[in-house]
Amino acid sequence: MNATMLLAREEWRFWLRSNLALATALLFLLLLLTTVALTALRITEERHTREHHQEEAETTFIAQPDRHPHRMVHYGHYVFRSPSPLAAFDPGLDSVTGQSIFLEGHRQNSAMFAASTASADLGGFAWLTPALVYQLFAPLLIILLGHGAVVRERESSTLATLLAQGVGGVRIVAGKSSALMMAVQVMLLPLLASAVIAAASGEPLSAGMMMYLIYLLYLSVWGAMTLLVSILAKKRATALAVLTALWLAFTLLMPSLAVSNTARTLPIAGQIETDLRMLEDLRKLGDGHNAADPAFDRLRRDLLAQYDVETIEELPVNLRGVVAEYSEAELTETLNAYAEQRMGAEQQQAELLSLHGWLTPLLATADASRAVAATDLSNHHRFLREAEAIRFEFVQGLNRAHAEKLDYQADVNRGTDEASSRRARISAENWAVLNEFRFTPDSVSTRVANAAPALSALVFWFLALAFWTFLAGRRIAV
Amino acid sequence: MTTSSLVREALHLSRDRAFIGWVLLTLLLSALAVAGGLREVQTQQETIERLLESDREDRLEALALHDDWGMAAYYSFHLTYHQPSDFAFAALGVRDSEPWKHRVRMLALEGQIYERDAGNPELALIGRFDFAFFAAFVLPVILIVILHDLQASERSAGRHALLLSTSGSTSSPWRTRALLRALAIVIAAVLPLLIGALSSRTEASVLFLAVAGIAAYLALWSVGAYLAARWERTSPVILASLLGTWVLLGIVGPAAGKLAVDRLVPIPEGADILLTQREAVNDAWDLPKEATMTPFVKEHPEWSDYAETEQSFEWKWYYAFQQVGDQRVAPISEAYRAGRVARDRAAGTLAMFAPPALLERYLQKLAGTDLAAHLAYEQRIRAFHRELRNYYYPKLFREEPYEAAALEKLPDFVSGS
Repeated sequence: MNATMLLAREEWRFWLRSNLALATALLFLLLLLTTVALTALRITEERHTREHHQEEAETTFIAQPDRHPHRMVHYGHYVFRSPSPLAAFDPGLDSVTGQSIFLEGHRQNSAMFAASTASADLGGFAWLTPALVYQLFAPLLIILLGHGAVVRERESSTLATLLAQGVGGVRIVAGKSSALMMAVQVMLLPLLASAVIAAASGEPLSAGMMMYLIYLLYLSVWGAMTLLVSILAKKRATALAVLTALWLAFTLLMPSLAVSNTARTLPIAGQIETDLRMLEDLRKLGDGHNAADPAFDRLRRDLLAQYDVETIEELPVNLRGVVAEYSEAELTETLNAYAEQRMGAEQQQAELLSLHGWLTPLLATADASRAVAATDLSNHHRFLREAEAIRFEFVQGLNRAHAEKLDYQADVNRGTDEASSRRARISAENWAVLNEFRFTPDSVSTRVANAAPALSALVFWFLALAFWTFLAGRRIAV
Repeated sequence: MTTSSLVREALHLSRDRAFIGWVLLTLLLSALAVAGGLREVQTQQETIERLLESDREDRLEALALHDDWGMAAYYSFHLTYHQPSDFAFAALGVRDSEPWKHRVRMLALEGQIYERDAGNPELALIGRFDFAFFAAFVLPVILIVILHDLQASERSAGRHALLLSTSGSTSSPWRTRALLRALAIVIAAVLPLLIGALSSRTEASVLFLAVAGIAAYLALWSVGAYLAARWERTSPVILASLLGTWVLLGIVGPAAGKLAVDRLVPIPEGADILLTQREAVNDAWDLPKEATMTPFVKEHPEWSDYAETEQSFEWKWYYAFQQVGDQRVAPISEAYRAGRVARDRAAGTLAMFAPPALLERYLQKLAGTDLAAHLAYEQRIRAFHRELRNYYYPKLFREEPYEAAALEKLPDFVSGS
């Protein structure tokens, strides 16, 4: 066995003899396994509930009786965002974003009912997830295991013996880091379990492996940092205090400071505020409920010309339906422009926040982790966009049915009495314009692409620290 | 502890550069937290001012386009908002994750009140660096780091016995040293808070309660760290045990508590509120008018003489079924609210055993940024919506002629903070 392996074995022996290291490692693994199991359970339940609601919403819509088509436009529909399988490892934004949207004509509603609204509030970290356990606590365990690696030998004067025996500094670092990396591998086993659970519910294993790689990098960053401090410190207590301070800075302070900084540098207007500006724009478009609105004069003229008739009554299509379809399209254009603006601003904020990943490996990791788990902002935005596509599709389908299948006279006179109201209905078969909605995560390659900026910061962290540790190792002295 | 030993320790501390570094760091972080909070509260206040203005303009524009009560009510929205308190800067609480502004109109309220204009979820997930977070989570770690090796370091340096013999009693040099260190940290942490409170004119009693709470909380951690430091173990063991306690009390305990509360206290699903409401409102179109008017009149007997409908569409009937929609979901909606209250109460009880969560909740309560304050705001929205109905119902039911001047008497949302 070569010297590196001998040193690594020695390190493991030391840990196994230390009650502190053993107890902490066991507690950590216990916490991790519990969190993995409970989060997987919660997310699976959530997925079932939301998928159930989704099916129910679709059946209810299709099962509506014969009606005036515009009634169905306002009857509306619900879509639910079901969590991705890897959300069981990193639920990401799932708990702080609304899970369902009510879709109706003429409006884009916001996503409602975030889980955080209804959950018991016990402080900022109470929403413990496997991802968070890795991000926050795994570094603590690594620090505890590794802070003494070199400085311990220095304090007990065994370092001098080692060096005198001709074991070079680089060899010592290699041995200690192999021991630490083996510990990291053990710590990552529950993550692999999560990846397998996710694979069982249809997630490609490559996504799980990507997740593994991210956390391997993250923990390696901490491993290198710990070794580095241990090499440079004169006393074990100092090494531990410095590492604790670094942990405090990187995991507790910088992320929330980064949030404050982002919110300050790139403030965004709330939805109500942009909606107010939008309403002003919308009023210029005319009211699609009122076919006589002067805003639709041109449409009416064009239509009469197109079918070569004199009066609206002679048209082969129902003018009201045509106006409804036309104005919905115009209005949606404006709605989408504003929605895109808002999402763009949010995305910009997210990117700025992500840039802070160059300042703390935690943010880079959290960012990449959410991207790969498909629980990040871009995924939520995709949900909003897909929901909007569904909305537009069924509303316009109904409007077309309004134009083509409902007689104009019957439509105009629907208010006179019960019988005429009955004549102004179309068959329930038309409700089939509603498309099925199942929210599925992005492809793995897209997710990895989303994670790329954060991932490069993480790789940089790793390379920089590994290189520095190597340099410091070469110069190890008593 | 004598004055001379106090002076000796103070001198000793002032030469400890690592310690001075920690004090300055505490001061800086506290200042950052307070400044960030103040700025955020100011932004929120400015947003509200701006919104009030554009909300009014928008309403006037919308109202100018219509000339009957039904259309006026349909197209005019009203801003409601939750004004940040004079102490909100210290604990932003649910203002980060929950909407503090809504625009509502005369339609069924249950479909509107859960709208979320709540800012970027990416930021809400991590949460801002506010003073409450700093005090509850960061300060204990700082105290732990500076207090844990008071004795172990001297012991390993071989000065332990010497210090003991020159000071007279067994505990006094460490006690004085720990006290002075903790005190310096507490002062550095609280000073920016006091300045922030002055600038935002926080009520003295609120500030007093906050500082007392923070002092008690930090005293608890200091005593804990001091006692652990007396333990005859190496400093890594002491530090790891203290950090372990912090993790247990601040994170693992609360996480388990949250899980238990969410499991044990059931709450109706939001989706059920929405679906029920929508069915009730939409069914009304096809049902005979009495199916709407009868339950409506039950709630509003004063309109029983006007409840007859003649035409196939009348605004009074339209708004009546909006209200009946609300009435129909009222039990679920109330259960949803009660469930949230019950969960919050249970969380409050559990927080007794998790000091960091307790302090954070305590500061949020003082700042009016806790769930209770958010729910109170929701109730104010409901009350305002009732006023809105009470304003329009006489006009719709008595079929009063439209009169633009009367719109000046539209109710205004009043924000108690």
